Amino acid sequence: MTTPTTVAGAVTVSLRDRLQQFLAFASLLVIFIVFSVASPNFLTYGNVLAILYSTVVIGTLALGTTFVIITGGIDLSIGTGMALCAVMSGVMIVNADFPLLLGVLGTILFGGLLGLINGVNVALLKIPPFIATLAMMLVAQGLALVLSHSTPIYFNDIPAYSKISRGNLIPDFPNAVIILAVVAVIAGVLLNKSTLGRYTYSIGSNEDATALSGIDVRKWKIIVYTFAGLFTGLAGLMISARLGSAQPATGTGYELQAIAAVVIGGTSLAGGKGSIVGTVIGALIISVLNNGLQILSIPQEWQNVILGCVILVAVYADMVRKKEA
Amino acid sequence: MNRRRFGAVLTAAAMALTVSACGGDDDAGGSGGEQPYIALVSKGFQHQFWQAVKKGAEQQAAKEGARITFEGPATEADVESQVTMLTNAIAKNPKAIGLAALDSKAAAPMLEDAKSRNIPVIAFDSGVEGDIPVTTASTDNKAAAAEAAKHLSGLLGGKGKVAMVVHDQTSKTGIDRRDGFIDWMKANAPGITLLPPQYGAGDQAKSADITKSIIASNPDVAGIYGANEGSAIGVVKGVEEASKKGIKIVGFDSGKAQIDAIKDGTMAGAITQNPVGIGEQTVAAAMKVIRGEEVPKVIDTGFFWYDKTNIDDPKIAAVLYQ
Amino acid sequence: MAFVDDDPEAASSATLLRAEGVSKSFPGVKALSEVHLDLRRNEVLGLVGENGAGKSTLMKLLSGIYQADEGEFFLNGERFAATSPRHAQELGISIIHQEFNLMPDLTVAQNIFIGREPRVGRFLLSERALNDKAADLIERLQLPLAPRALVGSLTVAKQQMVEIAKALSYDARVLIMDEPTAALNDAEVATLHELIQRFRSPDTGVIYISHRMDELKAISDRITVLRDGQYVATVDTRATTMKEVISLMVGRTLSSEARPEGVREDREVLLSVQGLSTKALLKDVSFDLRKGEILGFAGLMGAGRTEVARAIVGADKTESGTVLLRGKPVQIHSPADAAQYRIGYLSEDRKQYGLLLEQDVNANITISSIGELFSSLGFVKDRAMRVASQRSVESLRIKTPSILQTAKNLSGGNQQKVVIAKWLLKDCDIMIFDEPTRGIDVGAKEEIYALLNSLVDEGKSIIMISSELPEVLRMAHRVVVMSEGRITGTLDAAEATPESVMHYATLRPDENPEDAAELGLETLTQEEGER
Repeated sequence: MTTPTTVAGAVTVSLRDRLQQFLAFASLLVIFIVFSVASPNFLTYGNVLAILYSTVVIGTLALGTTFVIITGGIDLSIGTGMALCAVMSGVMIVNADFPLLLGVLGTILFGGLLGLINGVNVALLKIPPFIATLAMMLVAQGLALVLSHSTPIYFNDIPAYSKISRGNLIPDFPNAVIILAVVAVIAGVLLNKSTLGRYTYSIGSNEDATALSGIDVRKWKIIVYTFAGLFTGLAGLMISARLGSAQPATGTGYELQAIAAVVIGGTSLAGGKGSIVGTVIGALIISVLNNGLQILSIPQEWQNVILGCVILVAVYADMVRKKEA
Repeated sequence: MNRRRFGAVLTAAAMALTVSACGGDDDAGGSGGEQPYIALVSKGFQHQFWQAVKKGAEQQAAKEGARITFEGPATEADVESQVTMLTNAIAKNPKAIGLAALDSKAAAPMLEDAKSRNIPVIAFDSGVEGDIPVTTASTDNKAAAAEAAKHLSGLLGGKGKVAMVVHDQTSKTGIDRRDGFIDWMKANAPGITLLPPQYGAGDQAKSADITKSIIASNPDVAGIYGANEGSAIGVVKGVEEASKKGIKIVGFDSGKAQIDAIKDGTMAGAITQNPVGIGEQTVAAAMKVIRGEEVPKVIDTGFFWYDKTNIDDPKIAAVLYQ
Repeated sequence: MAFVDDDPEAASSATLLRAEGVSKSFPGVKALSEVHLDLRRNEVLGLVGENGAGKSTLMKLLSGIYQADEGEFFLNGERFAATSPRHAQELGISIIHQEFNLMPDLTVAQNIFIGREPRVGRFLLSERALNDKAADLIERLQLPLAPRALVGSLTVAKQQMVEIAKALSYDARVLIMDEPTAALNDAEVATLHELIQRFRSPDTGVIYISHRMDELKAISDRITVLRDGQYVATVDTRATTMKEVISLMVGRTLSSEARPEGVREDREVLLSVQGLSTKALLKDVSFDLRKGEILGFAGLMGAGRTEVARAIVGADKTESGTVLLRGKPVQIHSPADAAQYRIGYLSEDRKQYGLLLEQDVNANITISSIGELFSSLGFVKDRAMRVASQRSVESLRIKTPSILQTAKNLSGGNQQKVVIAKWLLKDCDIMIFDEPTRGIDVGAKEEIYALLNSLVDEGKSIIMISSELPEVLRMAHRVVVMSEGRITGTLDAAEATPESVMHYATLRPDENPEDAAELGLETLTQEEGER
């Protein structure tokens, strides 16, 4: 194969991606080391496990919404949507006596349904994603209360449900973390190696050009939002399995944390760039920070201040890196 | 394109009509109607506690022939939302208003407004600073928290490390339940070391994570106090997830999860308020004021310690909610 | 002049693509009115017309981006109507647009084969197969592209090559090229023409839209002329002079070309650049700009001319060098600083750097001058702005229904004029034009040239960067030639000929010691020899 002579100015994908991910990972490592040094209680098996465990719900939401953000959109409904899915899980499994497997699948698919509605609003009705998902956020919030009669639904009679999160397929290791890892790998493979992932990047990079290139942009946007909705359903499953109950009033604010994780991980809100590895690292950075600051007994008020600063620094560092590339 | 736009306009018009139709109902009950209208604004739906309050309020209203609405924001952290609801409630010109303030300072201007319109205010659950409320129907949270402290100290034999997971530090309940606990411990249990209070906004998952961090940094912690329903359940979950045995947990309020925890021994016991009683007393006091009768400045709705031994006692069972 | 459209018999069997009675309107403007076109087999058909004549619209109808209001299309005698770009591609009609349709965050290979990626199973993509396929295509077309390069990091010229590769990767029967060579240098144009010749066959045809008369002369068999949305004529290229074509396009004859009078050595030196170097490309660039002159900057693509301009106006960081304005050194760290010193820069990629596409013409023209001309006490003087915009539209003959028209709805050439109007309004003393007439039709070019000349007559000084040699030779009093980041030669009007400019533009002092010696530069081998 003839190698062209004037490749000099051109940057290849793999180089840039590797650099980005390496630096994000390095930041995580630095924070981790700082906390380990500052307190002997940090670097214990139990505490590291606690960190991973606390990442599960936000992490799952962040994985799904990474796709949406890469297309240049945004989904504000994932927090309350998660609560609604948890409620649906309760309605199906507890109230309507569905078999466990069916209920679990139903919850995830219900999340997909919410995503589908978002996708249709954004792609067909052309409502800006911010507005469309904001509306869905409110609808989901209300529906969660309506369907549950404002009362939590308890899964006490179905102990297998909690085991989804708290059980140990691997001894001393919670299932929830395994599920998060598996889902992260699937998301990563899909983003990098599937048509869904390719068109996600393409639409985010230049939607008009993608459409003119013969891709049905509307169809793919709907697919992306629906796909992200599956993650919302899964998050609803995971949080209700952890707590052993579906809490209808929870979830507000979770969407911003998920988006923060995505952004810290290097995904641009403008679309076209991002990675699953980055999102995972971003979610871990947030939970490591929360946990470490707690362990050091830093007053809780400061935690949000520090988190906000971290987001600023992470995004700025990312911008500087891209300019130099 | 045009068809779509037309459809959207049509939908919007239909929605607007529906909304105004709903809003119209309220005017009917206003001035000359039979049933006096009382607007109740609670702290929200995050905990089942408020459903119990609502039940008590509805029962009393039915008994006395009053009409009530019962609203609250989604979470107990949502101060702004509650202020908006309060403003809207006043705008409906009710005969009386009941308020469980998330932040009494934030509510102050609205209460001034209510006073200027001669709408009496009955505070419940959390008191409101100042003298605008005609009366306050609530639990004496400080005393209740002190009771919790007494029992926890008793369970620990008067010594050991104790942690607190509180819901917030802006509402009177948050402040009182924290301070009541701390004050009692300082005065009566010098052998107990108190760790600084942590705040979890009453979110169960967050409180669970916080509990695990507390345990990780203080492996010798002997007792943990959760100052409201969500915090307490979170503490129970956190201890479970950390697989730590032997920690004595004391909670607040009830709810199915707490009741189950007490029944199976993971939680030592809890303080319950009388939420149904709060609802009843609030509406009763409001009706008295509307009729022009005197009401006491403070209505103590009571609290009780309950644990495995007395949980089935009818007196206790009556004030617990699921 | 040999008209060839009145010969229906010869036409029918040899016709590959035909459009008849085509009309298309947009809100406020009738873009096409009963236009017809026919493309024969094995032919390259040039399509010309001033900006706004309807060429782009017609091509967008053919390629499925728009649907016609009236009229019919035939491919190989069969009626067709392309309902979408994908549909048109499937029919065998491939178009390369004037403005690129590329995804900057995807690689070259990913862009070329978007929607047609080689797969493993139904959903997973094979990146390796994709890159291999792209590499094969690139090699076949002999383009200097790397499959895994990010399109966003490529120069404008390379991006266009990606577009061309993409279009040619379909099994096209009709290839439509809309101003394909606007960003290519002569060598790249030659490559493209060679590609086109290879593409020609009894089953295929090319429609070639261009403003470059010399290219049309070289490559087309016939030329169709449109004017103001209507069909004018089709002529046989060999039997028609370009002047005749131009007069058909503009509906009038143009004055003959003039060349600038002599060098203006007696004028004061307004701007003096000394020792300018940047990390990326520039090495020790020094030159003077005299008052009232047009200083042309010639050279191959990538020689560094745009970089010089950007460095002067502070858009890029410099490592060393001084800029003297009227003899006094100035510190320019940003284009805002440059504007303060009355130095204006009109960039080459107007869509990205020059224009606010979502704003109207009025806003675009007045944006740089609001602070100075149109505001008092923080308030903006709307009426004065509109008056000034209207005047600009008239004097530059910008084709727009009104000054409130959104900029992105204007044709490419008129957009360029809007950007020029913006800088003219700013009343700069020194103006740097980077490819000022790219994508602008012949008639408008003349207007721009006349404008530039009147500006220097008023005493302004102009640096004109251009890849169109005829334009540089015609307009510049002196010509600075650059190659590989250095200034290799400065010629005055008399010395500047295509050959001499080309000679300096192709010197490569970093590769060839003889070239370095000619420029008086030391090379490594010389140094080593001395030791």
